[in-house]
Amino acid sequence: MLKDLGSPTARSAFRSAGEAPLRSAGTPSSVRRRRTVLVLVILACFTLIVLDARRSAGSPVDPLRQAAASVFGPLESTASSARQPVDNLRDRFAEMDRLKAENEKLKSENEKLHQDLNTTDYARNRAAELDRLLKLAPAYAMTPARVIGIGSAQSFNHTVTIDAGTADGVHVDMTVLNGDGLVGRVVRTTQATATVLLIGDRNSTVGGRLNAAMALGFVSGRGEVGGTLDYKLVDLKARPKVGDRIVTWGSSGNAPYVPGVPIGVVTSVTPNQGALGSTATVKPYVDPTRIDTVGVVTGPPARTPRTQLKPSTTPGSAPKGGGN
Amino acid sequence: MIALLRIGLAALFLMVAVTVQTSVLSNIAVAGVTCDLVLIVVIALALSRGPEWGAIAGFTGGLLLDVVPPADHTAGRWALALAIAGYVAGLIRRETSTGPVGPLIVAATVVLGATLSLFIYCATGSLLHDPSVDWGEFGVRLGIAAGYDVVGAIVVIPLVMWIMGRVVAARERRRVLP
Repeated sequence: MLKDLGSPTARSAFRSAGEAPLRSAGTPSSVRRRRTVLVLVILACFTLIVLDARRSAGSPVDPLRQAAASVFGPLESTASSARQPVDNLRDRFAEMDRLKAENEKLKSENEKLHQDLNTTDYARNRAAELDRLLKLAPAYAMTPARVIGIGSAQSFNHTVTIDAGTADGVHVDMTVLNGDGLVGRVVRTTQATATVLLIGDRNSTVGGRLNAAMALGFVSGRGEVGGTLDYKLVDLKARPKVGDRIVTWGSSGNAPYVPGVPIGVVTSVTPNQGALGSTATVKPYVDPTRIDTVGVVTGPPARTPRTQLKPSTTPGSAPKGGGN
Repeated sequence: MIALLRIGLAALFLMVAVTVQTSVLSNIAVAGVTCDLVLIVVIALALSRGPEWGAIAGFTGGLLLDVVPPADHTAGRWALALAIAGYVAGLIRRETSTGPVGPLIVAATVVLGATLSLFIYCATGSLLHDPSVDWGEFGVRLGIAAGYDVVGAIVVIPLVMWIMGRVVAARERRRVLP
């Protein structure tokens, strides 16, 4: 049916006949067919949009997404490991070296993550009991993963694909972090890949706690490329200061965010016009354009261990993770 | 047979474009904006085969962009945007169809296609109340994307059009020889 559409001979025949004006190159029937194709395609698009727009009741497009991810996941994975040789030709032939380096990097990152989780100064201003409670929180089990696909700024979504999926124990609403701080949360999973919504996306809101004042607030993305965040405090009287650090305050059941992960640092504070309170601009610790290896919190404890605090225990001698 | 080969080639181009765009080109993004390789391939197919091919290739490529991770928006938005951009690119080919397409017209088509597709994508997002669409950033991102696309098109469009032209030539040869 499409066999002689736009072939040069057909076109030049019409041109040489001299009767077909430039605007409608082609016979009326081919023009009609062309428009039919356009209308059909547009209708198909609208059908898709309408079908997929109802997110709540499970989209019929999801099987398509699963299939696409199972085909393109490995392709993306291969393609993104093929970019390494572009940077460093030696690595192409020395896969072992690369794995070793990656292993080492993961190890040091893991150590740093553990340290971050245990010794964050989240609790510095708290009473000694709460400080010890925090340090009692056992380290979370991480599944390391690599970023294999990054959403482009044209689509206004700040999402990345990682190469770990349900087969690795990654599920929707799990926290994703790296050595610097909070990256985002898992919003979609397939067998071998998962899609992570970065905290810089406009759809993302994270509960954040000011380190200095212990005040609660919400960190929301601005959709900017640098990942800049807005921070609004719940307590209108509390004032964030430039340089204050913000950590997650966690969600119930540790999903989607586990507590105590560093988010970013306040860079400027503007009082809200015509209202109480103020909005702070937060620079995230994680540079969203440079995410490579991330950890997904797959094995947090079912609930925070609530060991009884003994009055005899001296501050600073917490049984586990006494890092500072 | 040749028609099948041509469709297979087009599908292969689109798949490679989607893979490269999501996982390789995003590492050399300019201010977060990557080269729309899929759009470029769609325009190349439209320029070599006409509006129907442009619309169908645009629909297919856009649908892939909509469902391949890390996409998290409503499916069908890129499909609609690229289908219309492909159709328009095919029409441009028709209207100036005296000889091979000149480089200036190709560049203009790419810029037009980038503008059209990004605008449709954002407009559908606004209609669906997607909070992530930011019209304040639209101009900047469109400017970077259009410039980047022209750079990519310099490499990709001649390649794709040359290969598609070879396939046509084979068919023409076969028809003429007996």
